Amino acid sequence: MSRTSQSAIEVTALRKVYASHRGTFRRTKVRTVGLDGIDLVIRSGELFGLLGPNGAGKTTTVKILTTLLLPDSGHARVLGHDVVSQTDAVRRRIGFVFGGERGLYWRLSGLDNLRYFADLYRIPPDVSRRRIAELIDRLGLSGREHDKVETYSRGMKQRLHLARGLLNDPEVLFLDEPTIGLDPVGARELRVLVRELADSGKTIFLTTHYMFEADTICDRLAVINKGTIVAEGTPTSIKRLVENEGVVEVEVEAISADRVAGLRTLPGVTAVSVVERELAQVITLRCASPADLIAQLGVILEGIRLQKVSSREPTLEDAYVQLIADPS
Amino acid sequence: MISLIRAAFSSFYVSLRLRIVSPWAMMAWLFFPFIFAVVGLYVLGRPGASSPHLVYGVLGGGLVGYWGIAYLDGGLSIQNERWSGTLEQVFAVPTPLWVILLGKICGSLLWGMLSFFPTIGIAYFGFHAVLPQVDAGRFAISLAVLSFSFLVVAVVLSPLYALWRWALPVLNGFEFGFCILCGFMFPVTTLPDWAQGIAGVLAPTWATRAIYASTTNAGPHDFGAWWLATIGISLAYVVGAVFLYRLVDRRARMSGELALA
Repeated sequence: MSRTSQSAIEVTALRKVYASHRGTFRRTKVRTVGLDGIDLVIRSGELFGLLGPNGAGKTTTVKILTTLLLPDSGHARVLGHDVVSQTDAVRRRIGFVFGGERGLYWRLSGLDNLRYFADLYRIPPDVSRRRIAELIDRLGLSGREHDKVETYSRGMKQRLHLARGLLNDPEVLFLDEPTIGLDPVGARELRVLVRELADSGKTIFLTTHYMFEADTICDRLAVINKGTIVAEGTPTSIKRLVENEGVVEVEVEAISADRVAGLRTLPGVTAVSVVERELAQVITLRCASPADLIAQLGVILEGIRLQKVSSREPTLEDAYVQLIADPS
Repeated sequence: MISLIRAAFSSFYVSLRLRIVSPWAMMAWLFFPFIFAVVGLYVLGRPGASSPHLVYGVLGGGLVGYWGIAYLDGGLSIQNERWSGTLEQVFAVPTPLWVILLGKICGSLLWGMLSFFPTIGIAYFGFHAVLPQVDAGRFAISLAVLSFSFLVVAVVLSPLYALWRWALPVLNGFEFGFCILCGFMFPVTTLPDWAQGIAGVLAPTWATRAIYASTTNAGPHDFGAWWLATIGISLAYVVGAVFLYRLVDRRARMSGELALA
């Protein structure tokens, strides 16, 4: 099979089913579909985001593409190499970073971690010395590289993860929820770094829960739900899926489940969600006509003290919620 | 090839450094062998005595400590990576997993050899017990052959512990059983025939016999046969290990259990 022109990753009908057991005395085998025949093509130099809820298949996709997991059927090629039969060729040319604090030797220094992994990536010593120095500088670890990793903040650990993922100067970098658990400043710094890496020509495959993150830095996105790709395109094109709708946000002190159910019955309302925000509850309603909806709200919310009512354009998150709620 | 050797050496070095900062590793080479040596020396002879069995008191604690580290610490080389969350990272590099583990297990073995220092020390200073007739050359070769058998045992156990959760608790329980069967603390010839039969298929048994024979004039001295028996049985274990490593690679990638502790 020849590599499609300019494609870094090609995925065809990829399927993965996990087998596990349920019960202690009467054990029954359970099969869970992780991926249900997905197709993807990611171009060289592209920053591609895969969005989806927990258990949707994001990490399964990344693990198959990074050779950590075997698919049950279908094909996946990274830089033209089959991820099942040409693992060594794939591993030499990719880097990966998984979210969370694990995956580093906490009792060694950051520098020792990088030196060790450089040897495991079989990088010549003169090249690794230069590259490690560059990465420590670029990722803001200078001055702390000799300290044990256990003394690093979460953000520093994640930057060290990224440095490890870049040791072999990979052509394709996989980032599985890299900003999870980071504070807003740390997450922003990491996003800037990721964007810079993409601008320098690396292909980046990113999974995330954060819509803002995907909207800000990704060139193209796919939304995955229950192992199936339900939408694919640029952030703008995905937002267009809900462009005929508006969003009304109502902030109240408290609202009962009955009243929320009542809101769902209002004409033109397509989705209602409620989130807690500090001392208030924020009701988000998607509808065809925000102005008409605001006029009707008084009927359902009579007697409830409204703190704030506003309307806005739909965001990527609104499109995502619609896609996940109704894959059809 | 050079990059593979560098990767193995780097794993060896990291393994040693992680042990230096581990309280458990300190206990394993210093405290536990010391206890065994004291008990062994107390049972096997009075201070200054030179009975043929006293050598088991001098070296036995060290051998038990060395074995314990090779058996558990070396054998847990894959599991330790899993527990520290680094298994996926070391699995998906261009260096084969067995090369990384070889380096790590060699680190364990070097650490395990430290067990002889407290035991020989307590024998000499605490009980005035010495090795009566040491043939240094044969002792060194026997120790090297024993180390090879320990290396192979750890290489075999690593995938075993990673593949089946029951393997660790079950084999953990056998740790000291193997010490008896391999003759670390007293001669295998004192065991019943059926136990000697089991001991015969354990690679360290023959090298242990050679080690003790190299410290005394008593008994037979079939060094060549004992060394060959250890190496031969160890190589048979290696064949099993190749199968187990392929199984680990396949099963870990089928089930996605690499990251699971």
